[in-house]
Amino acid sequence: MGPLDGMLMGIKDNFCTSTLPTTCGSVMLKGFTSPYDATVVKLLEASGAILIGKTNMDEFGMGSANVYSDSGVVQHPFTCEKDVKEEDRRVAGGSSGGSAAAVGMKMCTAALGSDTGGSVRLPASYCGVVGFKPSYGRCSRNGLVAYANSLDTVGILSGTVKQASVVYDAISKHDPKDPSSMPDKLRSKLDESDSILRSQWTKGNLKGLVVGIPQEYYVDPMSDDVVDVWRSGIQFLKEQGATIQSISLPHTHLALPAYYIIALAEASSNLARYDGVRFGKLKGQGEGWCDMMLYADTRAEGFGAEVQRRILLGTHVLTAGTFDTLFLPAQKARRLIQADFDQVFYQHNALYESSVEQEGQESTKVHVILTPSAISSAPRMTDVLERHESSNDVKAVDAYMNDVMTVPASLAGLPAITVPFGKSAVDGYPIGLQLMAQYGHDGFLLSIANSLAKKQK
Amino acid sequence: MLLSGSRFYSRRLLIRNHFQRATFATATSQNHRYIKDNWEAIIGIEVHAQINSNTKLFSDTPTSFNDLVNTNISTIDAAFPGVQPTLNGRCVELAVKTALALDSKVQSLSTFDRKHYFYPDLPQGYQITQQREPIARGGSISLTQLDGLDEPIKVGIEQLQLEQDTGKSMHDMRPGFTLLDLNRAGTGLMEIVTKPDMRSSHEAGLLVKKLQAILRSVGSSKANMEEGSMRCDVNVSVHKIGEPFGTRCELKNLNSVRFLSMAIDAEIKRQIIAIEQGEIIESETRGYDVSSDKTFKLRGKESALDYRFMPEPDLPPLILSSDYIESVGSTLPELPDQCRTRIMEQYELSLTDANVLLNESGSLVFYEKVCIGRNPRFVVNWTLHELFGQLASRSIPFQENPISEQQMGSLLDLIQNGTITGPTGKSVLKVMLEERSNEMPMKIVESKGWARMGDSEKLKTLCENLISQHVEKAETIRNGEPKMYNWFIGQLMRETKGLADPTELNNALCNALGCKLEDMTSAPAGGSAIKKTKKSKGKKGM
Repeated sequence: MGPLDGMLMGIKDNFCTSTLPTTCGSVMLKGFTSPYDATVVKLLEASGAILIGKTNMDEFGMGSANVYSDSGVVQHPFTCEKDVKEEDRRVAGGSSGGSAAAVGMKMCTAALGSDTGGSVRLPASYCGVVGFKPSYGRCSRNGLVAYANSLDTVGILSGTVKQASVVYDAISKHDPKDPSSMPDKLRSKLDESDSILRSQWTKGNLKGLVVGIPQEYYVDPMSDDVVDVWRSGIQFLKEQGATIQSISLPHTHLALPAYYIIALAEASSNLARYDGVRFGKLKGQGEGWCDMMLYADTRAEGFGAEVQRRILLGTHVLTAGTFDTLFLPAQKARRLIQADFDQVFYQHNALYESSVEQEGQESTKVHVILTPSAISSAPRMTDVLERHESSNDVKAVDAYMNDVMTVPASLAGLPAITVPFGKSAVDGYPIGLQLMAQYGHDGFLLSIANSLAKKQK
Repeated sequence: MLLSGSRFYSRRLLIRNHFQRATFATATSQNHRYIKDNWEAIIGIEVHAQINSNTKLFSDTPTSFNDLVNTNISTIDAAFPGVQPTLNGRCVELAVKTALALDSKVQSLSTFDRKHYFYPDLPQGYQITQQREPIARGGSISLTQLDGLDEPIKVGIEQLQLEQDTGKSMHDMRPGFTLLDLNRAGTGLMEIVTKPDMRSSHEAGLLVKKLQAILRSVGSSKANMEEGSMRCDVNVSVHKIGEPFGTRCELKNLNSVRFLSMAIDAEIKRQIIAIEQGEIIESETRGYDVSSDKTFKLRGKESALDYRFMPEPDLPPLILSSDYIESVGSTLPELPDQCRTRIMEQYELSLTDANVLLNESGSLVFYEKVCIGRNPRFVVNWTLHELFGQLASRSIPFQENPISEQQMGSLLDLIQNGTITGPTGKSVLKVMLEERSNEMPMKIVESKGWARMGDSEKLKTLCENLISQHVEKAETIRNGEPKMYNWFIGQLMRETKGLADPTELNNALCNALGCKLEDMTSAPAGGSAIKKTKKSKGKKGM
């Protein structure tokens, strides 16, 4: 019997599977069946999981509401459960909306998602399920259709933290086919540090645990109901014995622009291969077709509006000239954001030989950081679609604001997890809280998350 | 049929062309760097050499040349969704080896970039290369009088970088279609960029040849221009000495050293004429048309693509320790220049012979092995002249030579110790080649009954028998007319099937006739008679 034996799982449709189509929610890959399986898919099958199907997603991972899909908009679980009127219906969040909703509706125990800037943690918060993004490099990305290689992470959605842990154990293995896969030597070193930390706190007793509350995350657009849930989360941890520490992550305001510059640049590059020649369908070989425009029709028809928008922005960022004024500074900002985290965590960042140690400010060091996962509960479908349908690009880009809570952990490669904690006092929709830990301390993060999840809904 | 008038005209044209060539052409003039009127050509070369590894640069698909189309591709080479590159360590090793052979500084840290453009034979929509931080920087190649230059020059190297090769597009093989073969897609390349240090097509041609020799001796590339394992793009500009450099044009699709040199000359000529007529040189990419001996525009560089270079996010930086670099360096073979100097000294070889051995892959190793314990001059004659000659007449490249060093060595010993004659040696060689026989020469000699007939008694008897059968002829010789002597030799050679040692035979005949060899060989036919009989023997053999 494998550890996951009999567990029903959904797989987000950007993981390559050889037995089911892999469309990435896009017309470009409609009907495409991959000749090989993603490494994590193989690991799940080897552990006995039953893969019941591929779940809907924002096209190629680009979106935060799961409205950008050839297969249609993903509904929030409440839509079915509570028979919501059409004008009140909410989105499930994205880009792993299908996986989050499937778990939320108990169609499956757990589901694989991918988290590039929050695509697992955000929908988990909206749908009231657990959404775990491990440290970058812990799980193999081989077979995960790339959106932004330096940010993409295999993520897990599940009903409970324990379920997420079990799935994580099965898929967090080194893969030589993935050049960014954490090497075994580093893995063991981190596992050691991780288990030492984990052993210090047991369920219900968090005495000595320092929880950081970053002031920069208290942003203007955050709705009051979210702030309330955040506060009650802080209170809950205090009651369990944890120490609450206000901290500053001063470069947080750079995170959203840095993320979108880097992610979109990498995305424009990764999507260059979709031309209909070797897979998919080559379109537009009729009148007026000539060499220079060989791919134009295929790509214009195959990619949705949001994907096209992001490819154009990403291409712009890489153009000679803007590379130095946009891409390079974004990478530098990324380092600063990572350094912010390194300053506040007790644990040393194992990726660096000698991290810049803060001079004697022990009092502001923490073990974990607690923030909300989103700035609101699940948005209304009508609001989102109105933005989507309008040809106003500026309005569409407004949606990027939803990622502000989750993007910094993505940039720094840190393990982060959404734990369902409360409901909106206004509309009753779920609100999740996000926990973050130092790079590589995934086991520790999961155990603290488990403590947070003790609260009944 | 030419009328005398037009013949005169065309002859004038010939002379004028020749004269113009002499003033432009840098390949033939004595001072190779001089063109005319203070013009100077500035030449730089960009080489793409396919890495001679078993598998591709970022996937473990086999590399190939002329295999059945689209049989050596994987999901990685074809850029399927979700695939990732993994760096081939052997390619790194060969690149480091090459860099060291070029005196280039191997970087302890180098990175990979993506170079973006859309083209069907580039499945990813980008090429992985090392634009910003290549694996090696600097270096040089020296060309000296031994290479054929009047004055030695040193051509600097800018950098050496690893990159992927594209697939092959074949246009209009089927009308209206472009056919794609992705076998080559993803094969490792070393891009070697020289500094613009060359001043003539002659220097450029020699540089390319020298680089080929270095790559082949290191074993990092087959460096064959005709087969495409080495591609050279040349940048050419002209200027008057003292004035700033002119605009350069790039010459592409040159698939031999000869065409490369010719193209450079044609381009220099074009640019000078254009400038003298007041035109401006546009930065362009040009090809070369052999039949008209002119370059022509391929595409304009002003509309050059912005490649949108981006660091390859899947691949970590390549870090090479000094220990690693040193250990690769210790496996470096003797390089062409050092080798040439050494073998010329050690074996007393001429420059020509030395160059042949160096240029023919595998022949030097063969030669040196056979030389052990043997006379080098003797070995040279038999390898460079006999063996090479026989291989060439059968169009067999030396790499496919079926004769082992042991076989060759043994054959030479047999000749040296008199077991067989020289002519027999050639026959044995022929047999070994044609039958691709693994057998040692002695076995062949025995089976064919070719052992040299050195038994003087036997020879004496033979001579005496022959003489007794042709008494009048013998008499003429005895009376001082050597004419018939060669006829006797011929007859005897035929009877002995060429197995008689020529010297022994001559002695025996002279003894039998009772005359002196010097008197016989004073006739001019002395040597040629033997040659003639060799030929006739050959004819008989067929």
